[in-house]
Amino acid sequence: MPGTLYKSAAIVGAAEANQIGFLDEPATSLQLHIEAIKNVSEQTGIPISSIEGVFSTGWSTELCEHLGITPKYIDTTAVGGCSFELHVHHAMAAIHAGIIDVALISHGENGHSANKIGGRSLNYARGAGDASPSHEMSTAYGLAAAPNHYAHAMVRHMHRYGNTREDYAHIAKVSRDWATLNPRAAMYSKEKHPFGGPITVEQVEDSRLITWPLTILHCCMVTDHGGAVLVCSPKVAASLNTKPVWIAGAGESMGHGNMLEMEDFTKTSARFSAEAAYTMAGLGPKDMEMALVYDSFTITAAITVEMLGLAAPGEGHLLWKDGRAAPGGSFPINTNGGGLSFNHSGMYGMPLLIEAYRQLSGTAEDGIHGDPRKQTSARTCVVNGTGGSLSTTGTLVLVADD
Amino acid sequence: MSYDKPIPSKGTHTSPFWEGTKAGKLMLPRCEDCNRVHWYPRHICPFCHSMNLEWIEGSGEGTIHTYAVQHLVFSKWAKETPYVTAYIDLKEGDRMLTVLRGVDPEKPEEIRIGAPVRVEFEQADEDTFIPFWRVVEE
Ligand SMILES: [Zn+2]
Repeated sequence: MPGTLYKSAAIVGAAEANQIGFLDEPATSLQLHIEAIKNVSEQTGIPISSIEGVFSTGWSTELCEHLGITPKYIDTTAVGGCSFELHVHHAMAAIHAGIIDVALISHGENGHSANKIGGRSLNYARGAGDASPSHEMSTAYGLAAAPNHYAHAMVRHMHRYGNTREDYAHIAKVSRDWATLNPRAAMYSKEKHPFGGPITVEQVEDSRLITWPLTILHCCMVTDHGGAVLVCSPKVAASLNTKPVWIAGAGESMGHGNMLEMEDFTKTSARFSAEAAYTMAGLGPKDMEMALVYDSFTITAAITVEMLGLAAPGEGHLLWKDGRAAPGGSFPINTNGGGLSFNHSGMYGMPLLIEAYRQLSGTAEDGIHGDPRKQTSARTCVVNGTGGSLSTTGTLVLVADD
Repeated sequence: MSYDKPIPSKGTHTSPFWEGTKAGKLMLPRCEDCNRVHWYPRHICPFCHSMNLEWIEGSGEGTIHTYAVQHLVFSKWAKETPYVTAYIDLKEGDRMLTVLRGVDPEKPEEIRIGAPVRVEFEQADEDTFIPFWRVVEE
């Protein structure tokens, strides 16, 4: 008997870069990628704009940005020379699942030219490094850390909607309120951290400037964190003593890699990843009872709830300002204290998952991970992670059992 | 040589831009098929995916799309803080990052989104002139 994936996908074309071998005129790895992609597009007649999934050894962000496409399935598996066979397998699974119809698997590696121009980069998280033209055209201006970049989006968001910085400060204040109910939060109390415990909007506003308009209390912390979750089949789930939290919907997207390519500074690709997740779930924003959103900065959280359809454009901050997102409010958000006050190690996607599981499995208030008033009654939760410079997003719609 | 800020390492397909800066010109990549200018320079037009690209001399004019004031950076720019960075909408289309000149970093509220700016170039080393944008009178 054939397996479920039998003939569920096919390779429909294959092509190479214009020049391969020992090139006289050195080429970057990026160039080799792009030429091959163009050639396979022409060979098959599939326009580059129709590519929905991008699979590469760490290059997918760079490739999508360079091509100006917005994928809905992104894979950067880099496990050595066999990675591309794995990519085929992953693409097949994504196609079988009905998430995408057109997958690109791409390779470019200037093993020879690198001797002259560098940039071989087998599996860098962001492919091209120095050899990336977006890097080349932005490195002169000294921006490296996330707040250096994100502040530009905040200024545009403020300008477009007439918001003040204080509007966003409420997000930091309310997130701290949640942290004071979570003994594991870095900012749980004054005893735990000298700057811990409750804060006021005024304190957020008056704290040290990092990149105007972002003061330090508008920014997430950088802590240590480790976490893990297990995802199982329904059959295995039924055999366990823990409560399952069901993945009702999932979606992903990316708008750009470098903020230089962010078309609209007031919107992220979460509008696309959320739409995919809601559609898969057969649920919408109105069905959500709480949210866990990446809050690298207050502005990240504000824009994200707008993208998730939880607030009108420009009004995301009101969820916190009017208390709906706060402990005891009608729509709890970031009930662990968020990256702003719980923990943020650099990549905050895992704490989002863990807190979502705890809330929907009724284990958010065990005295270790939560004091009284931290457990909400929510049975549905939308989770959204944001990566890069407001670049890539992943959205999950989770629902409690029964 | 007094320039001590980061100097970009140059790619294989961007030399017309860097050559232009030496002559005080802002060279921009344009697609011969859809006629749109894009920034940063590509191997392929990001709008229509044509590979027929050319370089044109830009006007060097633009407007402020958004901005921020850097108070904490870890590069050689650290000693210049606070300084203003901005994204510039190019007159020809698409957008460029820059360090903005002719503005007061202590008065960020007075910087105006949409204000006209003009490019200028500062020599960084023998081969490199870095573009900066300056707010101009309307
Ligand atoms: Zn074009």
